Amino acid sequence: MRRIVLGAMLLLGGCAFDVIHVQQVPASLEQISGPAPEWTLSQDVTVHLREGFAVPLKAGTTWRAIGRIAQGDVFRTGDQVVTVEASNVYEAALVTKGDFVVGFYLIVEHTFTAADPQIEIKRVIRSP
Amino acid sequence: MSVLRAAARPVAAAILMLVLAACAGGPQFSQMQDRLPAASPDNGRIFVYRSTVLGAALQPSVKINGDVVGSAVPQGFFYIDRPAGDYEISTATEVTRTLSLRLDPGQTRYVRLGVSMGFFVGHVYPELVDDAAGLAEIKDCHYTGK
Repeated sequence: MRRIVLGAMLLLGGCAFDVIHVQQVPASLEQISGPAPEWTLSQDVTVHLREGFAVPLKAGTTWRAIGRIAQGDVFRTGDQVVTVEASNVYEAALVTKGDFVVGFYLIVEHTFTAADPQIEIKRVIRSP
Repeated sequence: MSVLRAAARPVAAAILMLVLAACAGGPQFSQMQDRLPAASPDNGRIFVYRSTVLGAALQPSVKINGDVVGSAVPQGFFYIDRPAGDYEISTATEVTRTLSLRLDPGQTRYVRLGVSMGFFVGHVYPELVDDAAGLAEIKDCHYTGK
């Protein structure tokens, strides 16, 4: 009986304190030389992560490259707030490889968290 | 049954009084928006607000990079001007919730304080919201800054 109570307490405690951590790996952002590539998202997309909440990206938002990490090119937008959220919330930039979103770069933490699955996006290229 | 009904009114009134007392009482954002001093050009501004009265008794401190800058008062708001840079905003009840964000020069950010269920007490958590949503939600909040 005591074990059941203890197990229930741990389970409830786990729910209440929802210790869901976003898996992150260190990422070094390299500046890009020349004009920053820019594109506009053509349709709404929801990017899912292994842990935490899905991240919605809105159609019509324009994204500008801010650099490159080992996993892909990093883009920010001023048209919507982008955060990665589990127990804590992190402001993030989008990481793409070709036409696929591969994850997010956590701007303050200088880390990368992967999309699961990677998702293809439709976009209109604005510059180069 | 009628005894219960008779007792319910004063209890409900007491709860309402407590909730109202716990809410912010300064001028509304919409009343003082035009009178707010501009942030200096090197700084950005972060508005922190709590639009809900849910869990009104719960009013943890709000910290930015570990320093207390205000409290999570229901229907209240305050703002802080800071040099451009990276910041962590946190609140703590039985757990600590953090939000990390980058502030650019001249930029205004809106941080909403949400409330969720907890184990023993509720959790207050900061979340970054779009400017349009922030402006719409903060307008009826009352100033709690100094």
